[in-house]
Amino acid sequence: MKHVRKIVSFAVVALLCLGAAGSASAQNVEVKTHTLKNGMKILVQEDHSIPNVAFYVFYRIGSRNERPGTTGLSHFFEHMMFNGAKKFGFGEFDRVMEANGGSNNAYTSQNLTVYQDWFPRSALDLIFQLEADRIRDLSFDPKVIESERGVVRNERKVSVENNNFGILNEQLWATAYIAHPYQWPVVGWDVDIVNWKMEDLQNHFRMGYSPSNATMVVSGDVKLEEIVALAEKYIEPIPSHDPPPQVTTQEPEQQGERRVVVRKFAQLPILMVGYHVPQTNSPEFYPLQVLETILFTGQSSRLYQRLVDKDQLALFVAGGWDWSFDPTLFDFSVRPRAGIDPAKVEQVLYDELDRLQKGGITDQELEKAKNIRLAEFYRQMKTISGKSNIIGTYDVFFGDYHKLLNAAADYAKVSKEEVQRVAQKYFTEKNRTVATLIPEAPSPKAQDKK
Amino acid sequence: MKRMGKVFLLMFMLAGLVLPAAAQGGGELKLPPYKKVKLQNGMTLLLMEQHEVPLVSFSAAIRAGAVSDPAGKEGIASMTSGLLRKGTKSRTADQLSAELDFIGGQLGAGAGTDSSNVSAEFVKKDLAKGLDLFADVMLSPIFPQDEVTKLLKQRLDGIKSAKDQAQGVIGQYYNSYLFGKHPYARPAGGDEGSLAAISRDDIVKFYESNYVPGNTILAVVGDFQTADMEKILTDKFSAWPAKAVTPLRVGDAPAAQGKRLLLVDKPDATQTFFRIGNVGIARTSPDRVGIEVVNTLFGGRFTSWLSTELRIKNGLTYGASSFFDERVGRGPFAISSFTPNATTERCIDLALEVLKRLHEQGISEAELKSAKAYIKGQFPPTIETSDQLAREIAELEFYGLDEREVNTFSAKIEAMTLADTKRIIQQYFPLDNLVFVLIGKASEIEPVAKKYAPKMDAKSISQPGF
Repeated sequence: MKHVRKIVSFAVVALLCLGAAGSASAQNVEVKTHTLKNGMKILVQEDHSIPNVAFYVFYRIGSRNERPGTTGLSHFFEHMMFNGAKKFGFGEFDRVMEANGGSNNAYTSQNLTVYQDWFPRSALDLIFQLEADRIRDLSFDPKVIESERGVVRNERKVSVENNNFGILNEQLWATAYIAHPYQWPVVGWDVDIVNWKMEDLQNHFRMGYSPSNATMVVSGDVKLEEIVALAEKYIEPIPSHDPPPQVTTQEPEQQGERRVVVRKFAQLPILMVGYHVPQTNSPEFYPLQVLETILFTGQSSRLYQRLVDKDQLALFVAGGWDWSFDPTLFDFSVRPRAGIDPAKVEQVLYDELDRLQKGGITDQELEKAKNIRLAEFYRQMKTISGKSNIIGTYDVFFGDYHKLLNAAADYAKVSKEEVQRVAQKYFTEKNRTVATLIPEAPSPKAQDKK
Repeated sequence: MKRMGKVFLLMFMLAGLVLPAAAQGGGELKLPPYKKVKLQNGMTLLLMEQHEVPLVSFSAAIRAGAVSDPAGKEGIASMTSGLLRKGTKSRTADQLSAELDFIGGQLGAGAGTDSSNVSAEFVKKDLAKGLDLFADVMLSPIFPQDEVTKLLKQRLDGIKSAKDQAQGVIGQYYNSYLFGKHPYARPAGGDEGSLAAISRDDIVKFYESNYVPGNTILAVVGDFQTADMEKILTDKFSAWPAKAVTPLRVGDAPAAQGKRLLLVDKPDATQTFFRIGNVGIARTSPDRVGIEVVNTLFGGRFTSWLSTELRIKNGLTYGASSFFDERVGRGPFAISSFTPNATTERCIDLALEVLKRLHEQGISEAELKSAKAYIKGQFPPTIETSDQLAREIAELEFYGLDEREVNTFSAKIEAMTLADTKRIIQQYFPLDNLVFVLIGKASEIEPVAKKYAPKMDAKSISQPGF
């Protein structure tokens, strides 16, 4: 079988586009690629600066592929991927990996499930055995499933129930989306975590874990040839099957502002505002990235300047948009200062968005945003872990990692007018959802008990 | 997520919570060479070239942290560092932020218990500008009154904000309760009472007496030529007038005797967050390496005994761990986890059982081998980047250590025997003398909490202080 291999240099492209961006020695990053017969794509970035490897596998499955009743299943499944297969039984995946100097983690989003291994190069062969075992022969032990259910309910408690930002964020998305699966949380509703069955897990495995539904990214002290040889030995024999069914549901256009309020015990309120915006691979990607930078990045950003520094209405403000396959939210999250009415903060936020829509951005701001994005790019390239992450992320969301190589040129093309037009198009009253957390004293009943 | 990110204190603390460790398996991993320069005014410069990425990282350590705050005015060191970029002799706060952000630079400062730290990173092509900004905030801050007032108010609200999440404040409650009257009990960021007592004069005085060349180590790592960088830094910092300083020496806190417990009521909590432990070790402890090996097995990694029992086997929590926070003096040691209100008792009982088993059963030859491989395998990525290296060499210098600390680590790890681990368990993993701090819903967990210690103290999360 003929393999596809490509070698591209980041350095040349980045330097051409950014003029004096760096020295000749600055950046010499090559991505080499290969596709297995079963369809799994492999991207390799050889970096011999430390004797370690960052091994990431991106599966194109997340909470958007779920249905009501089994929300959170992708995330739960991610946990089960560490709980034993055929060759390496319960607990062995982690035990063997750590005993050989490796560590691992994983995350699930609305769009993806990503597995990450970090290890000394001496463990390379072993890692392939571990990864192959679990995607070929994962086991489903009822006792293990019950124990892991407890772990995941605990994770939900710590990240949502006992985190006011988590609670409000969940409400924001549940209100902004009425049709599309982005309406439910990645961790799932608690009642669904309690209720899903073994067969739900097995179906999920069959749906999402075809090798052809994955991109493997390996950065570090390796050579493409050895990665390909190991992948051919351990991964290629695993048969491929259909990818997950297409997510056909589209969120209907929002036709008026939506509001949701959470009242609970808290020291301070929270305000969140979300606007529907397109998915990552949209032509508006770069203007939206620039908007995010100008609004939120650094103490010179518009919202820090106005809300935190000048008017002193907020303790902090953060936001932006998540990378996604389907249209998502551009959100604003603000912690009002003690004694400040969240409604006042909300009004000032709208004043700032209004100013952006009417007056646009300055040349200085546009250039600043481009400089910040370049510096961020270098920071991501500092570590083998950062490299695996950014190469894989570009590859899955744009369908091709080359988009990363062209990022500098694409940013250079963004105009002030385009940024202003995008702000005008999306930051409208009809398109927004507003979520507010209002502090409440503990219920008298609870106090009596004490 | 499979598990939460480790608690990295990054630029805000020099004390190493996450223990850096060893060298790689086969060949030795050595710290890249760097040059140490002592300026005439007493300032120490450390310079290391790293040409992989066109960035330059700065890490400055000043020998004065929260322990130098006068009692009752906790938070001065932290306020001082926070105000460095809020106005200098030649730039307003807005100008500093605008110039910094325009070049995509990063510049932050903070105070830990023993030191204050200023970190920065710039793209190579903007190094001249970046250096100018860095030197400006280090040498010429003016602490404008309006910025002082603004930041004090923000910090006060910041404490309220932090108290909305038990996870974010349990460390401070634990340290305060564990260390009692010792300065390590003090909240580095201050509390509701102490912040109200701080004036601009306190901050100016703190800066003038502590931010002096003889107290300052500056590590610079990145894409530059050492000779050029040495000249530039010498030019920038030689004019900083020398001043005599007597760094504060804080004695070690005595270990807690017996058992005591603090219950912090958070009426909306559906989980109990807890820490259990005692006074641990200093950064320069001769047993540091051995402790890291034992702690890796006890609570320092995913398959550790604590994580295996509390999470993997019993599903009682999403995370269980133990750590030694190393400082100039002996810092805290703690077991840390969280669990639903209803399983509080089972989870804490199990954590204590695991601790008991560590003493009774000890660790096996196979486990010792596994821990050694793990520590060595995980070490290289901790000194991979220019900012990590800058922090590392500044920290070594701060503690009076040098590159041998890194270059001999592998050998020290390898030399560990089972007999060593037995002694270390006896000496550093207390069994009978334990301090407990729980944050949770008191109306549901108080009866459980009471059983762990003859003395139970109680607080409400809404009460000022920690």
